[in-house]
Amino acid sequence: MTFTDYLNLLISALLLAGTYAAMAVGMTVIYGVMKIVNLAHAGFLMLGAYFVYELHERAGIHPLVGVLLAFPAFYFLGMLVHWVLGRGIPVSDEPTLASLLLMFGLWLVIQNIGYLVWGTSDRSILTPMTFATLRFGEITIPKIGLVVFCGALVSLVVLEFVLHKTWFGRSVRALIQNRYACRIVGVHVEHIARMTFGLGIAFAGAAGGLLALLFPFSPDFGRPFLLRSFVIIVLGGLESFSGVFVGALILALVETFSILVIPSSYQPAVSFSLLVVALIFIPGGVAGLVSRVRMRARRAA
Amino acid sequence: MNAPARPSGAGETGGTVLRILRVAAPLALIAALAVVPLVDFGANSAKVLFLTFLWTTTGVAWNILGGFTGQPSFGFAVFYGLGAYTTALGINGGLSPYLTFPLAAVVAALASLAIGLPTFRLRGPYFAIATIGVSEAVRVIMTNLQFTGGASGYRIVESIPFRQADHYYSGLALVVVAVAVSMLVRRSRFGLALRAIRDDQEAASDSGVNPFTAKLAAHAVAAALTGAAGGVYARYAAFISPDGVFAFQRSVAILLMPIIGGVGTIWGPVVGGGIYGVVEEELTARFPEFHLLLYGALVILIILFEPGGVMGLLARARRLFSRRKDASWQPS
Repeated sequence: MTFTDYLNLLISALLLAGTYAAMAVGMTVIYGVMKIVNLAHAGFLMLGAYFVYELHERAGIHPLVGVLLAFPAFYFLGMLVHWVLGRGIPVSDEPTLASLLLMFGLWLVIQNIGYLVWGTSDRSILTPMTFATLRFGEITIPKIGLVVFCGALVSLVVLEFVLHKTWFGRSVRALIQNRYACRIVGVHVEHIARMTFGLGIAFAGAAGGLLALLFPFSPDFGRPFLLRSFVIIVLGGLESFSGVFVGALILALVETFSILVIPSSYQPAVSFSLLVVALIFIPGGVAGLVSRVRMRARRAA
Repeated sequence: MNAPARPSGAGETGGTVLRILRVAAPLALIAALAVVPLVDFGANSAKVLFLTFLWTTTGVAWNILGGFTGQPSFGFAVFYGLGAYTTALGINGGLSPYLTFPLAAVVAALASLAIGLPTFRLRGPYFAIATIGVSEAVRVIMTNLQFTGGASGYRIVESIPFRQADHYYSGLALVVVAVAVSMLVRRSRFGLALRAIRDDQEAASDSGVNPFTAKLAAHAVAAALTGAAGGVYARYAAFISPDGVFAFQRSVAILLMPIIGGVGTIWGPVVGGGIYGVVEEELTARFPEFHLLLYGALVILIILFEPGGVMGLLARARRLFSRRKDASWQPS
């Protein structure tokens, strides 16, 4: 391993982290506002992948445009799902088993509709970019990775803007903090919850489309990514948006560099083990860890 | 996910009849099932029943942890798989098959402790998510483990010739044991502690229950039964692979049965297991994807409209029936 090898690994880790952040942020939004562990996230990731795939194959629409179209499409799909399942997923203060199992049932339904429609074989989206690389001397950057990274980054920037500058975004952040106070100041909680659910699903769909550009997919596409999303939001502290970036970065770095120590066939076990470790040892995530350290420092001062 | 309240006896005489029925019906069912191989109504029916016993056992086991204690796990395939591999290694190592089943139970129970010690620091839904992680990690490891054949699976060579009845009675015995254990747990002080944890962990803790050890014990009991079921299955199948016995689908199936039948009840998982086992064997062959779609939709409907499952529906029907009867007694 030379220095450039490490640098190449680092670059691919960073590119992966961007996509991971876009993938997990939808889960954080829904968890933050409604305290629902969205197991159906996996299903929507898969649907997003096939959405972009079908647009590309049938209508010849560029995959990146497809990803862009996935946002409104999955936003409305999410609202529809929330409307149908309305009584099963109320806004609550802590995750309930009923909502967990409900989302699990939804995941089963989506996944197996996927099997019915698209069969069990692996598909992939191939564009001229797929195998192209950018070279800077010894450093190579896969072009598709860079494009996906930029797409993910742009969507996250837009999300940050929406969350901080719009009435809807402010309501979302307020809801994460205190539901009762929201009602008092005139936030229509159920309405915002439905829109939030739509937003979370929109990000799941679009992220699925982005991931489909990087990896081959089948109707079981979402499962490993569901666990990864969960690792990320747990590392990030479940409700914190900046935590998602940190979590995504940690996961991407661990996954990428663990290749050096752990045989690649055992590699999938890494993120799953990281999930358990993170859940147990840093339940508040990195955000919680930071605030705890800060508190201690303040007390010491 | 609260279990419906135990229905009170309709009246003095009605209560006695119901009580006799409650004892007699299961015994009659066991007797009827025990006679089946003697009548010999076809190898396929015996096979479907045998597999249904195993499914039911795992459902009943899951219910001890997921239903009574309120800690749903998505990782029971780990115990099933470990049980299957223990029996497989045992039989190939020259042990009597009937000795390997308890061994499978012990191995699964030990694994449950190893998994439970860290993960039971988490509450309900977080525990559930962690179990997905654990089971996927175990599956990946088993896929790569060389001495059990890795991904290509492991073949069991038994010196005794294959006899359908042996397997059938092992399955039947196991499911009877599982239901008996489930009954004992529910009626005992331990079961009361488990239900207290489900309803309110803090309150249970304040009343002198140690939630952590109680959950560990429930997990171990459930894992032991599941492991034994895995063992019996392995002996029957004579070939096991990580993608079969450790599959996420298996964990899913195990938790579907109690949900369909009625979480937290004794007979719910049995009813669910019966439905699942028969439907599974009939449907899987014809529509491999369709059945999980059906179960997913069923889970959604159950959670939305009748969290008590089939048992909840039955209780509701009985209430409706007795209310009508009460109403007719009213002098007008």
